Amino acid sequence: MSTPIEDEINKEIATHKILIYGKGTKTAPQCGFTVETMEFFNKYGYPYELINALPNPEKRETLSKMTNWPTLPKVFINGQFYGDTDVLGPMEEKGELQPLLKAAFPDQA
Amino acid sequence: MSQMMTFEDLSTQLQEALGDAEVSVLDRTGTMDHFTVKVISDAFEGKNLLDRHRMIYQALDAPMKDGRIHALEIQAKTKNEAKGG
Repeated sequence: MSTPIEDEINKEIATHKILIYGKGTKTAPQCGFTVETMEFFNKYGYPYELINALPNPEKRETLSKMTNWPTLPKVFINGQFYGDTDVLGPMEEKGELQPLLKAAFPDQA
Repeated sequence: MSQMMTFEDLSTQLQEALGDAEVSVLDRTGTMDHFTVKVISDAFEGKNLLDRHRMIYQALDAPMKDGRIHALEIQAKTKNEAKGG
């Protein structure tokens, strides 16, 4: 049995190929790590969604439980949790990220 | 306000959780609550980055919950990986 908040999160994860749960909005990010994460994805040019988890403590708590990951930002690619840029950066260096993104956006070059 | 973390507190807590860990800590902002930790430990052997970071978060659960650590940037390597660069 999933709760309404879990349903909402699962729907968001399924809707957005690249999804960042962060602090603030794209136009007014409220955390250096959120900005860093946006910049990280900006260079790839794929569309991403940033959802502000700051106003909703219950949702933040649920997200942390679902991912077993205590901090924001939290990044999902193609429905899968990948932590934050401390995880994505080394994956990028090893050439593991590009194939993931390509698989998430098969229609784009 | 709770007491600040020292570099030593951070290192000690990580070493207690991860055994043989080599820990280096940086204060990112000069405020002693935004840290970069580099941890080298064979406890990470066979674990992906997500799980390594979870181990570190778990070791620092208390100071992260009470706000002594506001933000944490993490690098986690095994001894072999650290040797390789």
